[in-house]
Amino acid sequence: MEEEVKKDSGQNLGVAALITAIVTFVLAAIPCIGLIAIIPGIISIVLASVGLSQAARNNSPRGILVAGLIIAIIACMISFSQVFVFSKIAEKADKWPGKIEEIVNDVQNDVLKDLEDANISIKVENGDEKVEITTNIDKKDREQTLEDLEVESKPENDSITITVTTGK
Amino acid sequence: MRTIPAAVRNNPYLTANIAFSGVILLIMVYSAIFSPLKDNYPVTCLHERITGEPCVSCGLSHSFSLILRGKFDEAHNWNVYGMRVFLFFAAQFLMRILFSVVYFRNNDSRKQLIIFDIAGSIILFFLSFHQFLVYIFKYS
Repeated sequence: MEEEVKKDSGQNLGVAALITAIVTFVLAAIPCIGLIAIIPGIISIVLASVGLSQAARNNSPRGILVAGLIIAIIACMISFSQVFVFSKIAEKADKWPGKIEEIVNDVQNDVLKDLEDANISIKVENGDEKVEITTNIDKKDREQTLEDLEVESKPENDSITITVTTGK
Repeated sequence: MRTIPAAVRNNPYLTANIAFSGVILLIMVYSAIFSPLKDNYPVTCLHERITGEPCVSCGLSHSFSLILRGKFDEAHNWNVYGMRVFLFFAAQFLMRILFSVVYFRNNDSRKQLIIFDIAGSIILFFLSFHQFLVYIFKYS
């Protein structure tokens, strides 16, 4: 009887370690709660280690203890790696204000660039009356228009006369 | 003092199966008890609290609850990977029962069964949790 008890020593601890290790593994794989998994992970490693030492002393089976220990160690590693996730995201957050400014500037430039070659159409309706103004503000067209205007309104003389009239 | 039946105590595989089934049942009960309408989930995203940014697993509890209530579209909206993870747990629950029965009935092919189970479960795990692991390890 005593021998049987000795043979089973560490097995209850092994079952507890295995259950905790599985819970740890499931928790660790979910980023939302992964960091919490370190706590049951450590508990599981301690349980498995104590169980293993008891099993080694009494020469009892160690399969369940080793399984619990391995699962707990892997789960703890996954869980611990989430510390890096937090630190990296926090690091990113520090850089965000500058990035937001950059993004806003980029968007502004893109909008201005798009508007350079845009066709604008304005429709005004008032009862039966309907007025439609369509204009092309293509950069080339605008340059051409400017040139035409310059030619048309070219003064005959280059001199400018300014008349100032003062009187009471 | 004997607290664990001999058949289970002498078979670590069966113990692991029972333990994992219990964990899955707890997850299902958690999803069934807490309601997405009341939004009374006790666990909140640590990630979002610390960084202010939602993570890839945010909305998973809502998604699980909605799947259990048959609202699959809403569940997908809460978390894109919710269905995949839920199916993993559901499949694992059925696998634990099935493999335990097969383990009991076949004394000769127990080792092959365990190897097959481990390999299948690892593949299923990576297929289901792939995005979560990528999210965790891309920063590590």
